[in-house]
Amino acid sequence: MINAITQAFSVNGLIWLCVSVVGYLIALWINRKCNGHPIAHPIVFTAIFVFLSLYLSNTSVVDYQQAAALLHWLLGPVTVALALPIYRQWQILKRYGWRLIVSIVLGGIVAPITAWFALFALDAPAALKMTMLAKSITTPLAMEATAHIGGIPAMAAVFVITTGIVGAIVATGVFSLFKIEDRQAQGIALGTVAHAIGTAKSIHMGEDVAAMATLGLCVNGIFTALALPLVFSLFV
Amino acid sequence: MRDVSKALVGAILVFAAYYLGLFAVNIMALPIPGALVGLLILLGILFIFPKLETHTARFVTLPLKHMSLLFVPAVLALSIYWVDIYENLLAITIAIFVTTSLSLGFTAWFAQKLFCSKQHKESHSSQVGRELE
Repeated sequence: MINAITQAFSVNGLIWLCVSVVGYLIALWINRKCNGHPIAHPIVFTAIFVFLSLYLSNTSVVDYQQAAALLHWLLGPVTVALALPIYRQWQILKRYGWRLIVSIVLGGIVAPITAWFALFALDAPAALKMTMLAKSITTPLAMEATAHIGGIPAMAAVFVITTGIVGAIVATGVFSLFKIEDRQAQGIALGTVAHAIGTAKSIHMGEDVAAMATLGLCVNGIFTALALPLVFSLFV
Repeated sequence: MRDVSKALVGAILVFAAYYLGLFAVNIMALPIPGALVGLLILLGILFIFPKLETHTARFVTLPLKHMSLLFVPAVLALSIYWVDIYENLLAITIAIFVTTSLSLGFTAWFAQKLFCSKQHKESHSSQVGRELE
């Protein structure tokens, strides 16, 4: 923490934090212009903006990571802050009880296991397979969990965001293909499989869908981030 | 002024839960992320002291809304692993596109089945209740 704050108040740190914030503000503007389309997710354009700035100033990614260490460090406290949305959805969780938990846990198992098998079948390296196991949970938890199971946290962030974008784009088509008319079930699937980006999509589908998606996102995040390191420590 | 003091209490809660989580994981050598234990600690505090919800919300709403900014340093590190990704591009594409679509459909289908059975049960019990009246 002290290192992150010291870096943030150095000239280099201030410059790169400002570049990141300006890039993020531009990305938010683009996202609004695209009516919140998943492909225009703010992280995509912020990353492109910062990457171009690094390229033009001939700065390495490692130097940038050191300068902007405060952003990375803040991921920990923000993960803790996810307790608030979980607390607020508690009444819905109680109403649906075990049915809700079973649906989320099943989705939380099927999504990473099928992805793992796809990589296994195509002979991908072990680190990639481990990283893919956290693809369906929210980014801060995914990065924490992959660090504990021999995965690559940086790659986890990209897999998670790509999964969210894909989930949000294909959701309408998939729901019509599988004949899913229950709005609660749609919300649960979106939050469980496509995490925060799926939840953002569910907001456009209605408040009831968004509430269930938030629950899917939170419960699956906790379940996967707890289960992955425990299973890994038991069997590997 | 009250808003600022509420936000300050919220900040103290979040950071205390975060460091307690890290401390617990280190002391007990738990194989789980410290931030996740911190999340569970904060959740426990909110259940015990529901009044602290507004204080926590005052502090966390903005960072939660703009969480994406915090992922930028990690996402950029991807360039270091670009060769690995390029070599396994087909496998990664299948793992993300195909399995995400299938999992989305399967999870929704399963949840729909379970929720339908609950709605049937609720409508049946309310019918029985009306008959008893």
